[in-house]
Amino acid sequence: MAGAGKKASGLSPAVQRLAALPILIVVATRRADGSVQLNPVWFELKDGYIWLNSNTRRTWPKNLQRDREATMLLVDPKTPERYAQIRGRLVSLIPDPRHEFIDRLADRYTGKAFRELEPDEHRVTLKIQPLSVTGDLL
Amino acid sequence: MAVQLSSKMQEFTQEVFPAIIGTSRKDGSVEMVPVWFEFKDGSFWINGGTNRGWFKHLQRDPRITLLLIDPKTMWRWAQVQGRMVDWAEDPGGEHINHLSHRYMGRDYQNPRTGRIKIQIEPLRVTGAIDGWGR
Repeated sequence: MAGAGKKASGLSPAVQRLAALPILIVVATRRADGSVQLNPVWFELKDGYIWLNSNTRRTWPKNLQRDREATMLLVDPKTPERYAQIRGRLVSLIPDPRHEFIDRLADRYTGKAFRELEPDEHRVTLKIQPLSVTGDLL
Repeated sequence: MAVQLSSKMQEFTQEVFPAIIGTSRKDGSVEMVPVWFEFKDGSFWINGGTNRGWFKHLQRDPRITLLLIDPKTMWRWAQVQGRMVDWAEDPGGEHINHLSHRYMGRDYQNPRTGRIKIQIEPLRVTGAIDGWGR
């Protein structure tokens, strides 16, 4: 695998400390035409997995569902040149019909429950297994 | 075709934070790296070395995506889909030194040899600065 760095059998304490902050993770996916899509999103690192949540109509979860893999970047907000790049594999896609998980994420970031869902808005939780980590924040 | 940045976006690009660039590896996976940039004369300019992985990717596939995100207020972000239109040697490291002044307020501290500057034409802008897009 190109760009394989340290194997993420467990993320290092430095990465875990960064992941504990309420910062956004940048998710890179590929569009159908092969171009790169970058989205900063809410996340949680728990039980060794990276958990994301999205509206099913957004492009990035569709890209992720198609390719089953994503690269994610965590940047140290105090020193933006320091970062950890995590390659991961989508292991499951979990419907969140009672928006429990997005409420949990909203609480982590805003201290409040998530806003009211729009009509026809369906939330889904994406469980991602980290495969390798590169960058200067190993 | 290149797009013109809105005035809000032009102001945003004057703020000092690294851009996260995304390029495609040969195997189709994405590499992301934070880099110094400036927006000038309608293009984004970044600096690197010919040995950088991301530059090799761009020589194969010139499409590049930049994420501009305020590290202190991460809701303020914009995604720029672009294309490398040109690159040139940076003799004497003049451009990297210019970027160093923008970011660090001082001369570039590392070796200035073997540097190149890369011109990126913006093709599409989405994100929170111009209003939401997909």
